[in-house]
Amino acid sequence: MTLQISSPDTVDKPLRSGTPDRQAYLAALLQQRPLVEKVSPVGLEEVRDRALSLIQEQALPSNHDEDWRFTDLSALYQTAFQRASGSTTLPTPDLEALTWTEASVRLVFVNGVYAPTLSSISACPAGLKVSTLADADPGAIAQLGQQQGMTEVFTALNTVCFEDVAVVEVAQNQIIDTPIHLLFLTTAKDTPSVNYPRSLVIAHNNSSATLIEEYVALAESTYFTNAVTEVWLGQNAQLNHSRIQREAKQAIHIGKTAVSQDRDSRYTLTSLSLGGQMSRHNPVIVPTAEQTDTTLNGLTLAVDQQIADTHSELSFTGSHCTAQQLHKCIVDDRARAVFNGKIFVPKAAQQTNASQLSRNLLLSAKARVDTKPQLEIVADDVKCAHGATVSQLDDDEIFYLQSRGLDRKSAGDLLVEGFAAEIIDQIPMIELRQTLLNAVLSQIR
Amino acid sequence: MTTTVQTLVNQPYKYGFVTEIETETIPRGLSEDVIRLISAKKNEPEFMLNFRLKAYRQWLKMTEPSWPHVHYPPIDYQDITYYSAPKEKDKKKSLDEVDPVLLETFEKLGIPLSEQKRLSNVAVDAVFDSVSVATTFREQLAEEGVIFCSISEALHDYSDLVERYLGSIVPINDNYFAALNSAVFSDGSFVFIPKGVRCPMELSTYFRINTEGSGQFERTLIIAEEDSYVSYLEGCTAPMFDTNQLHAAVVELVTLDNAEIKYSTVQNWYAGDENGKGGIYNFVTKRGLCAGKNSKISWTQVETGSAITWKYPSCVLVGDNSVGEFYSVALTNNKQQADTGTKMVHIGKNTRSTIISKGISAGRSQNSYRGLVKMGSKADGSRNYSQCDSMLIGSDAEANTFPYIQVQNNTTKVEHEASTSKIGEDQLFYFSQRGISVEDAVSMMISGFCKDVFNQLPMEFAVEADRLLSLKLEGSVG
Repeated sequence: MTLQISSPDTVDKPLRSGTPDRQAYLAALLQQRPLVEKVSPVGLEEVRDRALSLIQEQALPSNHDEDWRFTDLSALYQTAFQRASGSTTLPTPDLEALTWTEASVRLVFVNGVYAPTLSSISACPAGLKVSTLADADPGAIAQLGQQQGMTEVFTALNTVCFEDVAVVEVAQNQIIDTPIHLLFLTTAKDTPSVNYPRSLVIAHNNSSATLIEEYVALAESTYFTNAVTEVWLGQNAQLNHSRIQREAKQAIHIGKTAVSQDRDSRYTLTSLSLGGQMSRHNPVIVPTAEQTDTTLNGLTLAVDQQIADTHSELSFTGSHCTAQQLHKCIVDDRARAVFNGKIFVPKAAQQTNASQLSRNLLLSAKARVDTKPQLEIVADDVKCAHGATVSQLDDDEIFYLQSRGLDRKSAGDLLVEGFAAEIIDQIPMIELRQTLLNAVLSQIR
Repeated sequence: MTTTVQTLVNQPYKYGFVTEIETETIPRGLSEDVIRLISAKKNEPEFMLNFRLKAYRQWLKMTEPSWPHVHYPPIDYQDITYYSAPKEKDKKKSLDEVDPVLLETFEKLGIPLSEQKRLSNVAVDAVFDSVSVATTFREQLAEEGVIFCSISEALHDYSDLVERYLGSIVPINDNYFAALNSAVFSDGSFVFIPKGVRCPMELSTYFRINTEGSGQFERTLIIAEEDSYVSYLEGCTAPMFDTNQLHAAVVELVTLDNAEIKYSTVQNWYAGDENGKGGIYNFVTKRGLCAGKNSKISWTQVETGSAITWKYPSCVLVGDNSVGEFYSVALTNNKQQADTGTKMVHIGKNTRSTIISKGISAGRSQNSYRGLVKMGSKADGSRNYSQCDSMLIGSDAEANTFPYIQVQNNTTKVEHEASTSKIGEDQLFYFSQRGISVEDAVSMMISGFCKDVFNQLPMEFAVEADRLLSLKLEGSVG
């Protein structure tokens, strides 16, 4: 019986051996957190302490965790990221290409730090208040870090480490026509840097607003963005939210969008994921009352060796809610796209009407897609459906276009354009739509 | 309407009787000695004992998986009887020598083993607790070259075949319960269809757990050589006990070029009472390997029993142009839990798979579909279509879907659809308007819901499945 191996320790070994490294890595990241008294004039200590204790209870995830099974984080763990120091010098021509005339209200953050010279808040219409940590309303700040989904380790890490917050507050009964632009820029650095963008959006009862949240790199470099956005929708409030991730090719982006929807509110998220060697977006939507409406649109483009992951979660709590989700992935070269969409319908959520569709287009033989639409239903009087498709461009469709005089290449491009446009067209600004469509097409050509 | 449907779904389990028969039972518990004892009792060849011990040592190193969407108290593996067999007087030569009590038991279960009464054209292997007690039609099958016997007999008579294939499709360390099964399995069926033979009749195995506190660990191995065909049916029942019993089976199928295996299951283990007390834990590993070109494996299952069902009949499509199919109806009631589905792993070129899964959850039960469709990087031109529909009866039932889709080849096409609905007030009203009673209406709607799957069952089983569902759901309405 020399073979006898009975203790479970041997089983756990491969798991455990990785853990100390990840723990040391986490500790190193935590060491660089800002001194609270220095950066926050308002009481953030409590929420930060809570987040810190949450982190200490958890470990950084690995492939052994179900939520990270398909997304390899080793690229992150192999690089020692240093906190980015804010630099607000930015050549003006750059800025012009990154801002949109339609969105006259703009908050710009460079490496996670507010850049007042680049921002434009003078045109702020009545009923809208945009601010940063320094001048934010204490009542708004008190709402930071209070949502479901804040317990996840990367989100908690952001809560502990963020230096500034973009705060957008729409007053009761106000309809804001001007889109609000939140722009998070990352400048080139010699050493790998990490930044923690944080946004807080509060739309009070019966208000309506349009928000563009954008993550853009100014130059190719290796950095890690860990972004968190919290959205609070009051009763009958409406928010059209576009989230555009155009990080550098070498960047790592992990983002959380946590949304809490009160009664009768309407929320639309159009999320585009284009950049980053590894990117992950977790929208966590919680309608806390009845009759809400949620629309989630997503487009992921992954080329070269990119890994782009979307893990969405929609947890109903009240009855008579509706939700539509359409997530599309275009995957080329040796890239990999991951989608996991979870819809949870508890017993109280009777009369829910939810649909979810994951559509995936593979453009090369080495491209890879892992998709998992997931429904968990306890209520019986509901209508829920989901679907998933994975395929390449349809030969019949290409032939149809060729028979009308297009060459094979343009026929394919046209089909991809149409595939992408279904999502991009949901973005409420023409200029931005065109830029994004061009960005998508230039990547796959 | 809810109360009517509720009363309809609460039908008693009619196979819950215990047969009083003298059994030879080894003490509870599991150790290498127990495995040696089982192996010795069955007088197995050397390689088998090594296989078992290797599996046992692997099992010790493994931990029980916790990812399925089911909840149960921890299983005490030392409190299970791993071998229990009806006491045997002498080696029996024909059915006439089988203990009449046993024959009567199977008679009561609707499985006549005696020559004059048996179902026309279905050969039956009857497994009682840990051993196979009778196999019918063996001579007729042997004329065609088909081997159909219990796996213990196969270990003696065809040990080379068993040695070659056993554990080749489900390796001993595949998962926790497969490893346990590999260590302690007692009996099961062995089928070998030689080259070019179309099996002249349906083959069927009937499993019966009788002894309280015993676990059933059966092992089925079906080998279809080139250009052969077989249709195999499996049925199961158990008496009503307050304690939970573990059933951890392993089924391995392999098809060579142009061969086809059709495997149908009607699973009706005891499900526990309405408070979830008692019942069978049905943790099963079933996997088919389409090794040859143009081969086909088709799984059809009707899952109505068991306190907890946890199984994923899978197809590994290695041969080019091979086909995998999975048709399933899973019905859960009271506090039953089911986490079931399939895995379709496409490896060869132009492989195709179809998944049709229908889940009905009533009472306070949980019914989950969990499936994997994987397109390997060399599976050019492969195709999958999946459809999972759930029906909820009552507001406390739960239906979940967890479809995993992994695609590594852009010439493949994968489609997945799922929906959830309930029997609507308005649908029932429509039927009532036309003079059809609620019972009939519910019965018709459920029949319609499951039709896609029942159509796949062989005739004899389709009738039984329909009856089973009627019993489970529709009360006195036939």
